[in-house]
Formats: sequence, structure tokens, C-alpha cells
Amino acid sequence: MSVDFLHPGETVAIDKSVPALEMRGIGKRFPGVVALDNVDLTLEPGKIHALMGENGAGKSTLIKIMAGVYGKDAGTVRLRGREADIKSPRDSLKEGIKVVFQEIALIAEFSVAENIFLEGYPTGKGGSIDWKKIRADAAALFKRIGFNVDPAARTGSLPVSQQQMVEIARALAHEARVVVMDEPTSSLTPNEVSLLFTVIRRLAALGIAVLYVSHKLDEVFEIADTVTVLRDGRHVSTRPIGEHTNDTLIQDMIGRRIENLFPRKRGAPGSKVALSVEGLSTAKKLKDVSFEAHAGEVLGFFGLMGAGRTELAKAIVGYDPITSGTIAVDGSRLLPHDTHTGVRLGIGLLTEDRKSEGLMGELPVYQNASLASLSAFARMGFVDKASERKAVQDYVDRFRIRTPSLFQQVKNLSGGNQQKVLISRWLMRGLKVIVVDEPTRGIDVGAKSEIFALIDRLAGEGLAVVMMTSEMPELLGLADRIAVICEGRLTAIMPRDKATQENILNAAIG
Amino acid sequence: MDMSELTQSSAPSRFIGGQLLGSSQLVLGVILAVLCIAISIAAPQFYSEANIIAILRQCALVLIVASGMTMLIITAEVDLSVGASLAFVGCIGMAVLNSTHSLTLGLLAALAFSGAVGLFNGLVVTRLKVNSLIATIGTMMMLQGGVYLFTREAVQNHHRLASFTDLGAGYIGAIPLPVVIAALIFALAAATLRFTTLGRYLYAVGANERAVRLSGVRSERLKLFAFVVTGLCVGVAGMILSSLMNAGQPTAGRGFELTVIAAVILGGTSLLGGRGSLLGTLLGVLVLKVIDNGIIILGWNQDLQMVVPGIVIILATYLDIVRNRANVG
Amino acid sequence: MNWSKSMLFASAAALALSAAAAHAENMPKRIGYVTNYATHEWYQNVIKGMQARAKELGIELEVQDANLDIAKEVSAAEDFMAKGVDVLIVTPVNEEGVVPLLRQAKSNNVPVVLEGNPVKGMTTMVAICDYDTGYTAGAEAGKYAKEKLEGKAKVMNVGLPLLSATVLRSQGFMDGLKTIIPDAVMVHDLDGGGNPDRALEVSSAALAKNADINIIYGINDSSSLGGLQAWKAAGKSQDSLLTVGTGGEGLAFINAMQNEPSYRIEAAMFPEKEGYTAIDAAVKLFNGEEVPEHIVSPTAPMNGDDWKKFYDYDGTTRTIKWDAVNALQPPEKCMKTSADLKK
Repeated sequence: MSVDFLHPGETVAIDKSVPALEMRGIGKRFPGVVALDNVDLTLEPGKIHALMGENGAGKSTLIKIMAGVYGKDAGTVRLRGREADIKSPRDSLKEGIKVVFQEIALIAEFSVAENIFLEGYPTGKGGSIDWKKIRADAAALFKRIGFNVDPAARTGSLPVSQQQMVEIARALAHEARVVVMDEPTSSLTPNEVSLLFTVIRRLAALGIAVLYVSHKLDEVFEIADTVTVLRDGRHVSTRPIGEHTNDTLIQDMIGRRIENLFPRKRGAPGSKVALSVEGLSTAKKLKDVSFEAHAGEVLGFFGLMGAGRTELAKAIVGYDPITSGTIAVDGSRLLPHDTHTGVRLGIGLLTEDRKSEGLMGELPVYQNASLASLSAFARMGFVDKASERKAVQDYVDRFRIRTPSLFQQVKNLSGGNQQKVLISRWLMRGLKVIVVDEPTRGIDVGAKSEIFALIDRLAGEGLAVVMMTSEMPELLGLADRIAVICEGRLTAIMPRDKATQENILNAAIG
Repeated sequence: MDMSELTQSSAPSRFIGGQLLGSSQLVLGVILAVLCIAISIAAPQFYSEANIIAILRQCALVLIVASGMTMLIITAEVDLSVGASLAFVGCIGMAVLNSTHSLTLGLLAALAFSGAVGLFNGLVVTRLKVNSLIATIGTMMMLQGGVYLFTREAVQNHHRLASFTDLGAGYIGAIPLPVVIAALIFALAAATLRFTTLGRYLYAVGANERAVRLSGVRSERLKLFAFVVTGLCVGVAGMILSSLMNAGQPTAGRGFELTVIAAVILGGTSLLGGRGSLLGTLLGVLVLKVIDNGIIILGWNQDLQMVVPGIVIILATYLDIVRNRANVG
Repeated sequence: MNWSKSMLFASAAALALSAAAAHAENMPKRIGYVTNYATHEWYQNVIKGMQARAKELGIELEVQDANLDIAKEVSAAEDFMAKGVDVLIVTPVNEEGVVPLLRQAKSNNVPVVLEGNPVKGMTTMVAICDYDTGYTAGAEAGKYAKEKLEGKAKVMNVGLPLLSATVLRSQGFMDGLKTIIPDAVMVHDLDGGGNPDRALEVSSAALAKNADINIIYGINDSSSLGGLQAWKAAGKSQDSLLTVGTGGEGLAFINAMQNEPSYRIEAAMFPEKEGYTAIDAAVKLFNGEEVPEHIVSPTAPMNGDDWKKFYDYDGTTRTIKWDAVNALQPPEKCMKTSADLKK
């Protein structure tokens, strides 16, 4: 029987004794790779089920099979107890499965209401589209999930968080029984995350089975009823969340124990000022930012989305123009304000956006690593490839960069290994100050601890590390001092031992 | 899902064995060999000495400009004004030769003009941030119109310098001078791309300009360099062409830019930048010119001289994709 | 153009016509010429000839360039009519576009002279005979070959099969040549695109295939010169070679005849004279005189230094010698036209 979400007064009749979705023995091969091997997954109506695993564990493949994007090679899918044959995204929607992917699949130029009813506009007399009804229906849907937005607004003008809500509303309009959320919080602010969680809980209350795909432990502990962990394409465990601790979850995901996520081996920071920034302002964001960073120190900058972390990072290395203020590295002014001078003085940025600002994806590992230090391997303008490769091989060995060879195209490496290549790029150049922006974005839990260890080592070798992050554990685990920015202004700067989650957040809200 | 970690061991690297023989070069080499053999069987005159020299001489002009263009496209930019510039350069060079009777001054004037055109293109692209496709179409139009402001008719050879005639028609040993010049420029460009830091930066800037800038390298200067080099190559080719035609022809060079870019793309250089090689460009030039020549040698309808290269470009690109896919699978 | 304006001009034109009938020696005051492609040397010289003749007759001549764009051509002609020119001269960009223009001019009572190409419904056209031009040059080449080339004629035709005019030239050349040397053969029939670098390229390939030729014929000067440059680039001597060009529209052929030993014959088309003739035709139409549908503008093969009879050349510009050119007798009609090609 059909469930009518548009009319809240009517009874919602979902049989809770039958699983909404049952996948058994799912297998999927790609040429040369087994992506999924005999994976089971059961989603109960009204329950929030988390799916976890590192990159490459098979999460995306599994939900793409649900969504009809991929076909499966083995196994069965049952929906509400009935075997289903999902061959295309259309079949999947028809069966009541709605997947909200990371890349929002809305038409930016259309209104919110139009997007919601994209697949079937209500029509009036003579087949004309009934715009009034569309808007009214959309508004009713939003009310149902507690979401406040104008149905006539142009979709592209909304922030990502609200576009996600539109996608969820769309799921309801399609009478979805199963809603899959793929890493939904990766670009949301804490406030938006809590709103999203409220909406997800409402979906569950409506009897919908929710599959929440994430690799963020704290979120999963907050929202999930049950957790399934995949690793290397295999099913590892399915347990109620209550049976898990942080450590057991990580252990399931990476297959080994991590003793300490934030190993600290470096000593106390020195007192020598490596970077001094005074009265820094930019045209768009930053206002009068002043601070110093010392050699051997990790200075952590915390701020919410849009606070100006990345803007600050790009301004102090000379990448983005500034309107006023001074930057000095080891006492030398960054003038003219460009990256050429910056690198010459010894300040460089490890970007948050590896793909578009860091990596040369098509080019081999060794060329990516040596990019900033190429002139050191040049004799009369010619590259001494032997010494270049030897130097890169050194870093590959020291940092345990997993690549089949130095000639591998860097785009084929995992996120963690790509990050290590980019760190090598700077170490080969030799810096005094390294600015790292969201150093673990898109990196697996297992690899994260290696990156943390590397950052610790950089500071230990006497570099000043300026770390921009929105991850509270990372900040508290690594930094010697913590600075907070809010709307482009520095609102607090405090030693680690004085910092608490609460006073950091207070400063971040402003 | 991210399969990278799983697939990397099974994907053979394009860089193993260096950039010497990428897959597209292999495909092209086969196409070239098949073409040569097929045409030779049908018309033995094809491999006569005279014809080989004729083909090489025609290749020379394209190869000279394509050497610069390969560098430029590797940096993810393109120059559509080379054809128009080619005609203009010939007229200016000839005019200067007529008034100075000095080959050196004529060549310098041609290089100064064409280098300035390249510099202009480069500045428009790097400073004004105008997309190079659009910027150089603009330059092309300015040059096509401008040449008629400079001269309404072909600039005739009034100086009768023998050294100028040699530029196009002369020989060093058994090899035509333009071919020797083209070989030198080709070798210089190939060595730069393969062995020098400059060459590495050119690839890098095409692969990811922002990453290069963040690494402290002045990416605009690299692009500017590639534009100017392309311009200078046009200067050399323009003077050779005007020597061959014994006149500075304002109507010359129509569609030349397309031949050059087609050869570069055919040679496997990516319009997206960061990928490509001069060896591929050489093969691309040879394939296009052998087709051109073969159609005349075979006495086919000359309209096919446009049709066949079009087919070959699509076919070669497709075969390259197929090969890449097979490698990954 | 709005209705009242067009009425006004129509009546003005009618008035002018009736005045012309009364005084047969009346000159039109203003003539408008819409050219096809002013950048080309040919049209440059056509315009020169028109200007010279118009000045002589005290007529005001205005020129607009359609730049190969039929829409531009039509709007330029409409502007001329709106300005009240007495006669229009048009070089058609293409036939289809000009037919309605002719209709419009007729309703405005503005007589039209076409230059170069015929269009259905035209009153008159001034043009050279392409076939005849080739034919007379061919005959001249035959005489030369008989005398200097041991009576052999093996021709490389650097042609342009796209256009009927240039096909007629090549045909005429071979036919004329055969009147003197019956066993003349065309060894290569090439598409040189009418431009010098293409002509050079295809000729190089053709010569590589078979260099046993002794006459290069080009359908225009760029083609003959491209062919000759290919010959030179192949390292061949011009001793037993004859190069024949067509058109003579610019300076290139003068330069070649002065410096290239084989460049002995130029089939001159005298574009200046074509412009001159077009103005004369315009005056006749204005006066309501009967004119043939095709007014032939004369052409002539120029042998060796003959060109000096027709042109003064000071190293940078050439000046036509009107007496010599005006003395040429054009044929009444062409031996062969594009209409014959279609048969």
C-alpha cells in the first residue's frame, strides 16, 4: 500500500516486522578488482543504520548497487520481503530507494519546488503543469521534516546544507522507504549538522529506513542505531552502536589497533619567531589578523565553515593578495607578496584541496614530489634525473609512501599517500614555516595517524607548523597553541593546556 | 568507490620506458607505416627521392611551428593566430629585405614581429586572463585585417638575394635547408621538454597551474615563454615560406593553424595540458603530410585532402582511448 | 526603406530616365558600385579603372565592399538606391542573393550592370571570356613550344576545379594549345586552391610523382607562381620550361616576367579595362540604349616583354596605358561559357 507523506493526518502504515531492504551475498567485480565479496546488509524500517569503512572498503559500490548505478554480479536484493531486480536508477527510485549522493543532483537553475517534483509534475486541466499545487505540496513536505525554505527559491542560490534538505524532501515526494545519505556532513557547519540530524531522526520516526554512510566516528555514535563495517570489499561486522567503542570501531575499519592517534614525539617548542603576521587584512574576508608562530611549534587555527581559515592560509603564503598588513618569515618581509618570494623565504602551503591546488594528477609521483625543489637538481638548466629520483625515493621510504613505483601517476594513489607526496614536496624544498590546511581531509582513519605523526615530526625538526582545521580532536591532539578565527577576525589565542572544547567553540561563534 | 589502491598494481605506467613511446605514438607509428606501405604499393613513385624530399619540405614548415605549439598546448594554452601571423611575417620580412638587402635584418625583423605577436598573445592570456582560444582568435582577426593595411598585394622579391632563395630551396648535402632548420628546432624543443627544468615546469604548469604557483614558480612567465617561442617559430616558418614562394603573400597561411594544431593533437598532446611529446607531434605531422601527398600521388580527388585527415584524427584518438582502456582493464 | 521614400526615388528615377530619353548625350550623375571582395587585387584594379573612366566622364562614383557577404551586398545596394544613384554596378557574391536585388532595382527604375558573373533576369553583364582568355594564351604557348621546346607540350595544370570560370580557362588553354600542337597532353590536373602556398604544395607532390612536363599553366598568377616555385624548389632548371599565368591583376607577374626565365606568357585580363567598360555600359543603360546581354571586356596574351605595351611600372605601382588597352578588339561573344560546361 502506498504511503502518503503529503498528508500528515493520514495513518502511516509501514509493516515494521519486515526489513525494508535486505541484501545477501552481494558480489561485484571490476576488471582486475573484487570490489565487493559476499556482503550482507539489512535495513529495518524506522532505524538509522550506519555504514562505515575506509576509502576503498566498498561503501560507495554497495550504495551504487542499491541506487541502480551499478549492476551486481552476485547475491540477492529483497525489498519488503520481496525479491527485487534493480537494473537502473529508475528502478531503484520506483522501488522506494532514494540515495542522496555527495554531489548534489539538483538542477541549480530550477526552483526548489520544481526540483522536488522533477520526475512527475502534478498536471491540471489539459496536461498543463499546476504550479500552484507544486509550490503548496513542496511547502507541505518541508513542514513535515521541519525545514524552512521558500519553495520558489532558485535551488542554486541555497547553501549545500539546504540543497541536501531539498534532496531529502524529494525522497519523501517519491514515497521513499529507504533513504541513503552518502557522507552528508562533509561540507556542513556544526549547526547545519545538528539540523540534518534532526531531519534524519524525523525520517526514521516516519518509518523510513535510513542508511548513513560516513567515516566520522563521533557522528555515527550520535545518530546510528546499528553499524555495519566493510573492509576491502568484505563484511566485517554488524553490531548495535551500544556494543562499540571508538577503539573497536577503528579496529574493525582498519583491521588493526591504533594505540595512539596523536603520538607526540617532539619536544617543547622553541622561542624563536619563525613567522610573524601583523594587521593582515584582505579584500573579502580577513580583518586585522596578527599572530606569531615559533620554530618547533604547531599553531592550530580553528574556525567554523566560512570563518576565513583557508583565506588566511592562502594570504600568508603569498598566494592570495592582501590589502594591508605585514608578513615576515624569520624576520624577512614577504615582499613582493607572491608565492615565489614566499617559497624563497621558506613559507609554503599544504593545500586542503589536493586535487585542484596540489597534485599534478597525470604526472608521476617523483615529478610531483620534486616540483618545488627542481632547481636543486638542475645542472646548467638540465635536470639530473638520477639524483632527483634518489632524493624522492628517500622520502618514499622514510614516509612509507605506498606506490608501486616512482613513475606511477599520482592520481592513482590513495588520499593519505597523496598527502605524503605533497608533504615531501615541501620537505625536499626545505621550509621554515609550513601552513597546513585541513591536513586530513578525505584521508582514511588509518592514514590519518600517519599524517599526524608526520606533522609532529615536522615541528620536531624545527619547522613552525600553522595548521588550519575544523576538526576539534585534531586541533586538541596536535597543537601547542590554539588560535580561533571568526568571520575573518582572530578572536582568541591560547595555549593548549588552557583550551577546552567549550571555550574554543565560544570563540569560534564570536 | 575509490579503487585506486586496488588497481594501481595492475595498471602499467605510461611512464615506464619514459615518455618515449606513449600509446598514442605507437598507434600513430602503425598508422604511418600502413599508410606508407599502402601508398607505395599503389604508386611506387611515392618512395622516390624527389617525393620524399617534397614531403619533408612540406613537413618542415608545419613541424617548425608545431614544435612551439606542442610546448604551448602542454601548458594548456593554444594559439590560433599562427596562420595569420605566418602570412604577415612573410610580407614584413620581404619588405625589410627589399629595403635593406640584408638577410640578417630581414630575419630579425620577421622574428621581432612574430615574437611580438607571441608576447602580445601571452600577455593577453596571462595578464588579462582572457581564454587563449578567444584571445588568439582575436589576434588572428587583427593580423588578417592588419596585413592588408600593410600591403594590398604580394610583396615581390626585389632584392634577389641568393641566400634568401636558399632559405627555402637550398640544400645541405642532400637534405633541403628547411628540413635541416626544422630538425634543429625540433631537437632543441624536444631536448628542452625532456631534459630541462624549464621543460618540466611547462608540463607542470599544464598539469596544474595552481600547484605550480603554490610551489613558488612563476607560472605566468612559463606560459608567456611558450607563447613567445611559438611566435618565434612562426617567424622562422614565415620566412621559409616567403622564400619558397619568392614573395610575401598576404593570402598565405589560410588554415595553417588548423594543420599545426591537428598534428599536435594527433601526436597525443592533450588540449587539457600536462601531457604530450614532440615525438608524437613529429609523427602527427608526418601522417598528415603523407596523406596529403599520397592523395596527389594516387591521383585521387583532392577534396579528400581535407576529408581523410579529419577521419584519421578521429580514428587515432579513438584507438588511443581503446588502447588506454585495454591497459586499465 | 519606407514606402513614401521609395515612391519618391522611383519617381525621381523615372524623371531622370525621361530626361535621358530627351537628351541622348546625358551623363548619369552618380553611380554606385557594390564590389564582391575589395581586398583582392583584381577588384582593386577594377575599381581603379572605374574611377579613371568616371572621372573622365564627370560622374561621381561610390564604392561599397560586400566582403563576400551577400547580406552586406544587398544592404549596400539598397543604401545606394536610397541615396538616389542613377545606375548600380554589382559584382554578385552569389546568384541566388542577387536575383531579388535585381527585382527591387527594377521596381525602383534603377538600371543595373553586373560585373563578372551572370544572374538570371539581368539586363547586362560586363565580363571577360575565360575560355577565350585561356584559348588565346594556349595558342601563344603552342607557338612558343614549337619554336623553343621542340614542339612538345606536356602540361601541369595548376587549376581550381571549384569554379566554372577557372575550369574554362584550363580547358581553353589546352584547346588553344592543341590547335598548334595536336598531341599536347595534360600530365597533371591539380587543385591548387587558387592560393600560392597550396599551389606550391600540390605542385611539389605532383612533380615528385612525375616531373616530365615542360609547361606550367596556372589559372591565376598565384597558381602559376606556386607551380613554378615548386619546380625551382625541386632543383630543376627553367631552361626547357614555359610558365603561363592568367589574370595579370597585380605586380607579381611583372616581377616574374622580369626575373624568371621560364615565365614567358601571361594571359592578361585587364581588370582596369573591365571597370572602364562597366562604366561605359552604365552610361548606355542610363541613356536607354540597347546593350548586349554580355558585354565582353577584352583579354590578351602578353608574350615576353609585351606587357610594357600595356603597363607602365615604376617598381611599386603599375599604370595602365589606356590607348593600348582600348585598342584591343574584344570578341562579340565567348567561344564557350559556364552554360556550356553544364551540357
